[in-house]
Amino acid sequence: MIEKLMNIDRRIVFILVGLAVIIPSLLSVSFPITVSQPTRSTYDYIESLPTGSTLMIGFNYGPSSLAELHPMAEAVIHHCFQQKVRVIGMTLLPDGATLGDDMLRKVADETGAIYGEDYVYLGFRPGATQVLLGMGTAIDSVFEADYAKTPLAEIPMMADITNYEQIDLVLDLASGSSTEWWIVYTNTRYNQQIAAGVTGVIVSQMYPYLQTKQLIGLMPGLLGAAEYEKLIGRPAKGTEGMSIQSFAHLLVVGLVILGNIAFFIQRRQAE
Amino acid sequence: MRRQVPLILCFAFGIVMALTEFSPHRFSQWLNKEVIDWTLVIGPFALVLAIATLIQTHWTRIRRRSEYWQYSFLVFIGMIVMVVIGIPLGQRHPVFVWLFRYVQVPMDATMFSLLAFFIASAAYRAFRARTLEATLLLAAALIVMIGNAPVGDLIWNTIIPFGDNLPSAARQWILDNPNLSARRGIILGISLGVISQSIRIILGIERSYLGGVEGD
Repeated sequence: MIEKLMNIDRRIVFILVGLAVIIPSLLSVSFPITVSQPTRSTYDYIESLPTGSTLMIGFNYGPSSLAELHPMAEAVIHHCFQQKVRVIGMTLLPDGATLGDDMLRKVADETGAIYGEDYVYLGFRPGATQVLLGMGTAIDSVFEADYAKTPLAEIPMMADITNYEQIDLVLDLASGSSTEWWIVYTNTRYNQQIAAGVTGVIVSQMYPYLQTKQLIGLMPGLLGAAEYEKLIGRPAKGTEGMSIQSFAHLLVVGLVILGNIAFFIQRRQAE
Repeated sequence: MRRQVPLILCFAFGIVMALTEFSPHRFSQWLNKEVIDWTLVIGPFALVLAIATLIQTHWTRIRRRSEYWQYSFLVFIGMIVMVVIGIPLGQRHPVFVWLFRYVQVPMDATMFSLLAFFIASAAYRAFRARTLEATLLLAAALIVMIGNAPVGDLIWNTIIPFGDNLPSAARQWILDNPNLSARRGIILGISLGVISQSIRIILGIERSYLGGVEGD
């Protein structure tokens, strides 16, 4: 029996994971969400920005991390448009270009934000570090035109935005190392305020920067999206995903405990 | 000469750019900006290099009939289709967007989603409290995992009459303290390594980036 438990067919584990994902999405169960301090700090910072401030969002993720980071982007952009904070979108990854454009247009359609007045999307440029450094002197030296090829000089919102000095906060939505690039090249050199929303697997790497205030806030994975949705009072994909994440985490914890019980029984029998 | 010119350029630019970081002088800042502008022009060449390498690798696989060589055709088809549509019509063209949304996004997301299945299976098989260190790691992982899902707080608050939201508070403590300390040590180690390696490259001691055998 213990031997069987120890060598359980992995297809059974796969089926259990599948069920842990499918069942809660069908039942639409919801759980109360506790907001963590790093997410609250991001929210508070944006909340404290005066009307007409500017937030730059880096859509530095591809489709593989879309499930975690898109809900975050949606919640923050909604918050910005509610607060009349202007948004500049850009990406350092080619895969992020269409994702950023889609997300900004979606939220703009929902909120009535106007392109060129409330938000601008710059798209992608290769050479991440050079792009970050270049925008420190002049954004139009890197992005001479926006994603739709309109010269920045013809976009009303960009008339009073030259470089990081006119940007109140950078929010990096990242599935890789881009947050560290922003910290090294823009916070250290240009004293730019930065917040980040990152995938669950890299959250732990960001904590040293949070303590040193090189990051003013941090949203951890899908949970961060759900927390932000709670703060703005607009439950969406992040909150929906929490029931699935809860069941999946419970399953993995249960499997690990079960595996260890079997392991200890087997070891005792062997002794 | 083939090696001396790159070494001289590397030394000159390395030293000058490092110095400009410490000097607020107008000329220094102008020079810094100018060189960054140059790198913005040079940067896209890396893409050309990457595409050339990709083509070379997959063409060789097809020519040699290596294992699964047929899939290399798919790489070429995908690349050609996206380039043929993307360059003349633009990235906002409905066909390009459709291909991205309904081909690339589902494929990419599916590949990543498979991880959940393998992680669950691997955790069941490999995550064992064999030693004290492994037990500590296991306990920390379980607390973070439970604290990372709202159901952890719900179960705790329902069953235990004290310590409201303890799982999420414990998770936050682990991230804020042991995790932060360990990460800081790693960052310091990496940074010192990067600095020493940079000095070696600037001074021409480390030459492997030129290709060939070190010290040629």
